[in-house]
Amino acid sequence: MSPFDKLRVNGKPGYQTSPLILSLSKDEQRYFQLNKNISYKEINDDVIDAMTRTGPLYYVVLAIVTILTLLLFFLPWIYQIKVGQGVTGLNNPSYWGVYLVNFVFWVGVAHAGTLISAMLYITRTQWRRSVHRSAETMTFFALIIAVSFIMVHMGRVWNFYWVLPYPNQRTIWTNFISPLMFDVFAIGTYFLSSLIFLYFGLIPDIAAIRHRSAGWRRRLYVMLSLGWRGTDREWYIRDKAYMLFSVLIMPLVVSVHSIVSWDFALGIVPGLHKTVFAPYFVTGALYSGFAGVVLLISILRRVQQSSAKYITERHYDRIGITLLALSLLWSYLTILEIVMGLTSHSSFELEHLRYKLLNPGFAGLTALMIFSNTILPLSLSIRKVRVSITCQFIISIFILTGMWLERFLIFGTSLPRKFLPYAWHDYHPGWVEIAITAGSFFLFILMFMIFMKIFPVISITEVKEEWTDS
Amino acid sequence: MSRFLDKLFARFNIYREPGYYGKYDYKWTIVIDLDKCDGCEACVIACHAENNLPIVGEEECSKNRAFNWIRIERYVEGEYPDVRVKFIPILCQQCGKARCEVGCPTYATYHNQDGLNVQVYNRCIGTFTCATYCPYDVRHFNWFSYKWEAPLEQQLNPDVTVREKGVMEKCTFCIQRIRAGKDHAKDEGREVTDGDIQPACVQTCPTGAMTFGDLNDPESRVSQLAKSERRYRLFEDLNTDPSVIYLKRVMKQTKQ
Amino acid sequence: MLKRRDFLKALGLGGVGTGLGFMLGESIKTPATNLIPYVVPPEDIVPGVANWYSSLCTQCNAGCGIIVRVLEGRAKKIEGNPHHPVNQGRLCAMGQAGLQALYNPDRIKTPLIRKGSRQSEEFRAITWEEALSVLAENLMKLKIASNTEKLFLLSSVIRGHMGHLFETFMQNFGSPNYIQYDLFQHKELIFANKVSMGINILPYYDIGNTNLLLSFGADFLNTWLSPVNHSLGYGHMRQGRHGSRGRLVQIEPRLSLSGANADEWIPVRPGTEGILALGLAYTIIEEGYYKGQDINEWNKILSPYKPEMISELTNTDNERIRTLAREFASARPGLAIAGENAASYTDGVNHIIAVNILNHLADNIGKTGGVISNPEAPIKKTQSLKDIDALLRNARAGEVETLITYNTNPVFTLPHNSKIQEALENIPFVVSLSCFMDETTAHADLILPTHTSLEDWGDDITEPATGYNTATIMQPAVSPLYDSRNAGDILLSTAKRLGNRLQKNMPWDNFRDFFIESWKTIYEKQRHTYAGEPVFEDFWNKVLTQGGWWDQEKRTHQSIHFIKDNVKRFISSSPSLFQGNEDEFPFYLILYAHSGYYDGRHANLPWLQEMPDPMTSVVWGTWIEINPQTAGKMGIREGDLLLVESPYGKLHVPAYLYPGIRPDTVSIPIGQGHKTYGRYAGNRGSNPLDLLPGISRHETGTIPLNSTRVKITKSSEKGNLVKMEGITKEFDRQIVQTIPPYERRQN
Repeated sequence: MSPFDKLRVNGKPGYQTSPLILSLSKDEQRYFQLNKNISYKEINDDVIDAMTRTGPLYYVVLAIVTILTLLLFFLPWIYQIKVGQGVTGLNNPSYWGVYLVNFVFWVGVAHAGTLISAMLYITRTQWRRSVHRSAETMTFFALIIAVSFIMVHMGRVWNFYWVLPYPNQRTIWTNFISPLMFDVFAIGTYFLSSLIFLYFGLIPDIAAIRHRSAGWRRRLYVMLSLGWRGTDREWYIRDKAYMLFSVLIMPLVVSVHSIVSWDFALGIVPGLHKTVFAPYFVTGALYSGFAGVVLLISILRRVQQSSAKYITERHYDRIGITLLALSLLWSYLTILEIVMGLTSHSSFELEHLRYKLLNPGFAGLTALMIFSNTILPLSLSIRKVRVSITCQFIISIFILTGMWLERFLIFGTSLPRKFLPYAWHDYHPGWVEIAITAGSFFLFILMFMIFMKIFPVISITEVKEEWTDS
Repeated sequence: MSRFLDKLFARFNIYREPGYYGKYDYKWTIVIDLDKCDGCEACVIACHAENNLPIVGEEECSKNRAFNWIRIERYVEGEYPDVRVKFIPILCQQCGKARCEVGCPTYATYHNQDGLNVQVYNRCIGTFTCATYCPYDVRHFNWFSYKWEAPLEQQLNPDVTVREKGVMEKCTFCIQRIRAGKDHAKDEGREVTDGDIQPACVQTCPTGAMTFGDLNDPESRVSQLAKSERRYRLFEDLNTDPSVIYLKRVMKQTKQ
Repeated sequence: MLKRRDFLKALGLGGVGTGLGFMLGESIKTPATNLIPYVVPPEDIVPGVANWYSSLCTQCNAGCGIIVRVLEGRAKKIEGNPHHPVNQGRLCAMGQAGLQALYNPDRIKTPLIRKGSRQSEEFRAITWEEALSVLAENLMKLKIASNTEKLFLLSSVIRGHMGHLFETFMQNFGSPNYIQYDLFQHKELIFANKVSMGINILPYYDIGNTNLLLSFGADFLNTWLSPVNHSLGYGHMRQGRHGSRGRLVQIEPRLSLSGANADEWIPVRPGTEGILALGLAYTIIEEGYYKGQDINEWNKILSPYKPEMISELTNTDNERIRTLAREFASARPGLAIAGENAASYTDGVNHIIAVNILNHLADNIGKTGGVISNPEAPIKKTQSLKDIDALLRNARAGEVETLITYNTNPVFTLPHNSKIQEALENIPFVVSLSCFMDETTAHADLILPTHTSLEDWGDDITEPATGYNTATIMQPAVSPLYDSRNAGDILLSTAKRLGNRLQKNMPWDNFRDFFIESWKTIYEKQRHTYAGEPVFEDFWNKVLTQGGWWDQEKRTHQSIHFIKDNVKRFISSSPSLFQGNEDEFPFYLILYAHSGYYDGRHANLPWLQEMPDPMTSVVWGTWIEINPQTAGKMGIREGDLLLVESPYGKLHVPAYLYPGIRPDTVSIPIGQGHKTYGRYAGNRGSNPLDLLPGISRHETGTIPLNSTRVKITKSSEKGNLVKMEGITKEFDRQIVQTIPPYERRQN
């Protein structure tokens, strides 16, 4: 008897089993009211249909996205490697610009996935079931893009493997004191862990659909499902292992982005050198991540009808509450950062604050950021706003913009205003940087589009546990 | 197990022993007398000539990407007619507790035994961390692989690497001259005498504002100058322990 | 299954293929993959070990000694010659950039002859034989027609034996028209010193030992006279003497680099520096500091210059004039110098003479830390008998048949209002001996490329020396890169072709022979001053090794007598004349030499183009300096393109807000605005000399630079102002820390 068995009620797991279905169409509503339960077969069918039933629109969109990714992400990058970093808008002293902003942004976005998968699993939150697969996938792809941005920002990319501590002919280690080395380990660990965690959760799902598929799909699924038979013993081990894994991966939610924030906090640049950065960035990460999840599931709902019925108002409601909580926390930390700067008696910090808040170039961006991240999400306290998909979609876009701007404002205002006023020079992103930034979003969409046709984006196992009666 | 760990971390623990940096052979220092410096920028051109610095052109200059390993910063206070102009040469301060050394993930910048902050061009992968951390903004990046229009490349100094794109660079206290001086002294079986070695900027300074030497040697000129009551170091409170000592300028304050 | 035959075939093909591939690889390698350029190197070259050659820096007229580091036959670095008395091992920015003149991509590589019209600037390469015969032919024609005075030879200011060679050539050819012209010739200073102190060569201004230096518009640290020597002195004056620190007061309408280092800046009204100097002189008389016998006469001469009466005119507080005069007189020694800015007014000579009077009355002349006379040079100073005005007049009148120019660019350095281009059009045959295609060379008919100073022989008699005879030798550090020749060689081979008297009186095969023979003469004459060199060869080796000849033991401190009667007619009580009336043209225009380009000659050196201007940090362009208060009133912001108009010309220049300039004055640096001159200098910036009238002074024949007023109009465009500075305020960050003077004790 596991401690969780105590939660059983009437022989069934003691969870809520009737989702709110106001966001479904009239037909679906009647269907659900007639059938309290959905069969496993129905769930399997829905998921497999979503993967295999591909209309021409999908291919058209896929083609467009591929072309845009190539044009906006890869080609400018190759141009940059060939010609040099001079094609960007970076200069002395603004050596870190849009690329690092993107890096931090994408790593931040990745954190929500792990929070939903791991942390919410431990707390036995029910509403995570339908969304956690897409969230985990989002984590994984966001990490890929984040790592690619590290490589984009490097001056000599072809030597990037020198940051890995491997035995070499020069008998030289890497510099473990450097925060970038902490990054290597943190993000490396995070990358591997989320990949394995994702895969781990996929195994029963793949097993569930393998017998229904044919051709290359069948071969792929057979190979990847590792001979899962679905026996009790296997389920038992899987549950235990999953819980263990969740517990192990949970600290990464906090640690990875703290370490990324220390890239900046460990420099003595005014505006970057703050102890509040670790919690600030982690909060910001989760915040932008959740907004990203909202965006993702909203698009998913529109695009895949069959998975639409598993993502309901309830999920939006819960995510909305989380967003609101994170928004308040983020606002508090922002105010804390500003107040700490104002009371610091350091002319360097004050100049940085003045530049960020009052300089005509940046005042507008700061205002937009405050609006997107603090003021607009306050509307999420109204339930009607929370359960409305359109509203949440728009609010999430604003939040993502605001969070990107927050990182941009951190770099764009602290580096151009360092210690020696004679050396102050402004930073303006070049066309290569803007193209690669836009291209990264298309790359993400591309990867996700390919993923959702090969693997189930709704976790069949979890949904079965929640939606059926057995 | 603990012995294994000790051996593993021995190379890092020695940095924490007190007086480690004091045990160096030499401690190269530059003393710059701001009362003598007149802002003529001869040092800037001498550095260009000695260290194979490329010309970037007008457009790159507008993006502040020129290579001035040493630059003269000019600060103006007051309004007409009570204008005060102050010059200060800023070069790599070769900090004892350098922020850039902490940041570089690949050890492309490290502290050598002479107290210099050395940049290893072929180890640099261009993460820009060192340049971001530097409080004096003295690091410069090779944004492109710069070309010298023939026959200007005939002037390049063969003792100094020509850097390719993607690599960070900065003032080295003309380490090629230091090495040559030390080799020369070793051939003659003696220590380097004061005045043997001079970086290009120090050698050419017309007013004699800059002096270079070994701070560990109590007889050297820099040791004498470093005892001056006018001495200060730039941004000393940041605890970077720079090896460039400035002597305050003598100047009436503005009537404010 | 691989048969043996197939195996051997494959082996053979593989071998041949590898060989072919290797040869292909070798053949497409760029030449730069060869590390060492010699198969059999010359004796004195060891790869990796440098040879140092002592030579002369010709980037400005100061005549500093340099040593050139040469590795494998390539010049790598120029340093100051530690033995040379003028610069003592130091060198300025322009000197360091001399390497780029040698290896400049825009050098003329072969003799060129014009094809097409003069405006088209198209040239055809020819051989030296052809070129020299064309030149000889033309000069022969002049000889036969007895028109030898119609040959004009125009060169830069040359103090050494090259000047003698030119003189000898012109003499033997039969033409008195050898003219030396540079934009900055110090002719006003030489004239003023001759008039007031009776000395023919410039004295030594002993800045290093003075206690109070009054600089009247002298940018002595940057571009005036002998900047490196002055800088050495300045450093010594400030912190080189235990227990005392000299003070510097700068008196000029625009704050120059030297002024930025001053303890005090007096922004005097343009054109009134001399009057202020006389006011100080009067105070010295009135308050009894002057102990001479003729004090009453001086009183009479200087009474119109009471401080109270000139205070308004000079825009200076009269109390300050009095206290400054007292400080100056009690400095003992003090030193007052009048620099380029003061000399550049229409009556610049008056200002300099006023400063000389001040020095005399404060008893600074002939004292350490004051004005020290230099002994006569070991060789006769080459005087240009005429000035550039003569060339212009004669050319306009059609009296010039042939013009040979060497190392000078009058089309750029003369205002176009002097009608230099029209004058050139009137000259049928123009020959240019030059390294670069500058504006004058582009208008020539025949171009003969000369060596740069690092490839050439020559010498310079330093003026001003540092109190004793100094001569610097220029020797080639590298062999000539291109098919150029020494200018002396060109004239000598021309002399041979012209035959008769020329060939007889100029028997030397090349300049080097003439040069060494001339030095033999000096050696013979001065032999008694040089113990220890019994043979000329030893003496010559020593001179070449140390870079020159100087005789520190023999300082003839000839006393300088101030000639009061001469100066009386140069004392004027009205400020200098500026063309243009005050209402239409409200601003005084001050022009100055840029610290990198000098008079424009170094605009083709990319290091100097990219060197941030010390006072504004602008690179690769021209700008106009305008007081921020004035700019605010006119709505001008930094970088705005302004239309600057004088009664004689107009320019478009971007604005720079400069607090160190009077509100009624604007200033533009000289040096950019070249139409041709290579890829770095061509079509960049504006030439402010085009705003000047083409009127020259009658005492010296030079064009006054500060002689016109201008008006400023804001255009709607943004100019291209590239500056390297961010913000020049310190915001209390304690970057350049200072201590006040009364607390300071010498360390």
